[in-house]
Amino acid sequence: MAPVVRAQAVSKRWGATAALQGASFEIQPGITGLLGSNGAGKTTLLGLLLGMHRPDEGQVEVLGRDPWTQGADLRARVGYAPEHEALPEDVRAYDIVRHLTEVHGLPSREAQTRASDALYEVGLGEERFRPVGTMSTGQRQRVKLAVAIAHDPELVLLDEPTNGLDPMQRDSMLTLVRKIGHELGLNVILCSHLLEEVERVSDAVVILDGGRVVRSGPLTELRRSDANELMVEVDGGEPEVARLVAALVSAGVTARADGALVAALMSGPTVFDLVRDALDEGRFGLRRLEQRTSSLEEVFLSADAG
Amino acid sequence: MSLPTGDARILDRGYRRYDGPRAGTAHAVRSVIAHTLRRILGLRRPARAKVLPVMAIAFAYIPAIVFVGIVALSGRFGARAQADLIVPPYGEYYGFIISAIVLFVTFVAPEALCPDRRSRSLSLYLSSPLTRMTYLLGKVLAVAIVVAFVTVGPPLLLLFGRMMQSAGPDGFLAFLAVLGRMLASGTMLAALYTAVSMGVASLTDRRAVAAAATLLLLIGSSIVTGTIVYGLNGPSWVFGSHLTAAPLLLVSRIYGESSGDPQVTTLALAAGALFWTALGSAVCVLRYRSLQVTR
Repeated sequence: MAPVVRAQAVSKRWGATAALQGASFEIQPGITGLLGSNGAGKTTLLGLLLGMHRPDEGQVEVLGRDPWTQGADLRARVGYAPEHEALPEDVRAYDIVRHLTEVHGLPSREAQTRASDALYEVGLGEERFRPVGTMSTGQRQRVKLAVAIAHDPELVLLDEPTNGLDPMQRDSMLTLVRKIGHELGLNVILCSHLLEEVERVSDAVVILDGGRVVRSGPLTELRRSDANELMVEVDGGEPEVARLVAALVSAGVTARADGALVAALMSGPTVFDLVRDALDEGRFGLRRLEQRTSSLEEVFLSADAG
Repeated sequence: MSLPTGDARILDRGYRRYDGPRAGTAHAVRSVIAHTLRRILGLRRPARAKVLPVMAIAFAYIPAIVFVGIVALSGRFGARAQADLIVPPYGEYYGFIISAIVLFVTFVAPEALCPDRRSRSLSLYLSSPLTRMTYLLGKVLAVAIVVAFVTVGPPLLLLFGRMMQSAGPDGFLAFLAVLGRMLASGTMLAALYTAVSMGVASLTDRRAVAAAATLLLLIGSSIVTGTIVYGLNGPSWVFGSHLTAAPLLLVSRIYGESSGDPQVTTLALAAGALFWTALGSAVCVLRYRSLQVTR
């Protein structure tokens, strides 16, 4: 499957500040989290993906197009919800969504129905004729989301969509983002500095730090690749855990007790066989055997430390 | 209990994919023009947003309506000669509505440009097929259309009103000559005031500040040029950069009327109008080219 975004050694400077330094990564279809602390280069990267800025070095390709030279054609197929407030207060939500849908190339009649549908989809069906200025922060974020999806883009860029939301609104917004990616089938790049948010909705992640890509790939792979231990759970509680650890150590495996589990270091390709043999010879009741997975926080921290 | 009929269907309001054609930049520019026109005229907005445009349009059109009424009544009572003394020549009509034009231009361009920067919705436009320049093109055309509505519309109403009363130009060629002058004058005024007000409005994101600054520039140019030419006996061509009197004088010259200071040449008047139009456009374009929307 062709990647949605491909970046090759991309650099961008703002005066003396290097916003991006040789960033290379690929984003596959699905929901991808663009994770990094404030100032990591996330918003600059979004600007490059939209063709608003030209990279100083390197190449960017979005949906198979060069954003800088084919910007107009590309942007017709991309939805964008910026981090900051971006809606005129005295205009009705429906009017601004309809207008921006038209601006993205849809005929007027189609824009009218799609504006209503998009606002229904984000839960503002009854509120759509209210001026944006009378809406709560959560509702305004939803209007921005409706703007981003109403013209049926192939890719949606969401810059910190939960900014300023309370926990309930955040939860609801993340559910919406997940729905957009998995039910509506749109590719989403979710820009956030919150690990928990990205981990909850994303299929893949690109981690930025100081303008560099420190990790990227599917979440499942990143979690596995970061952990090099085999976790074993057996019947019988603590005595059996201690007996298994001893059996593994005598078989030459580096192992330790980790609560009710046994953690065996995957030092080579034979570890699986050695663990299997130790379980069989010791007549252990096996409950679970799996490779340890890290949380995104652990991945982030290890990337940061690296 | 009602039974389902053959016509019954489930209405799915859910999100649908769009497979149809996507129009290009021209469609986007047209949408910006329509949206901006609605915004300027206060359509689909609270009543207070309609007050200024309605007032300015009324002030621009009322004299034309009154003059047409005078022509109509004079025809009925056989007093056409007296009516001709009251109703001004086409070229002098702008003298009656210059206040309305000034009022209009001071709020039209700020209304078109400032809110998008203040609310930061410019970033939403620039994440669409529009570029800075095509966005600006849409805004300029919208403002020019609205300004032309008060610079071209009222004289046209006067012309057609007089023609309805058989008091218009004699013959088709004379009609075309008047119509051509009317369109040239109205377009020149619309282009001049659109460029000037857009240039000022591009420098601030506050509508009130932009409106006050535009008014200040219009009044200031008259004070400065008047002082230089008549107070200090400076060169008469400087009068060409007077932002209210010089364009009206140029309109009179377009109509072949010999009003105003004869020492101020038509070339100076045309150069003044061109200078302000170019300056306003350049300021606006440079400002939008360097505007930082997102980092």
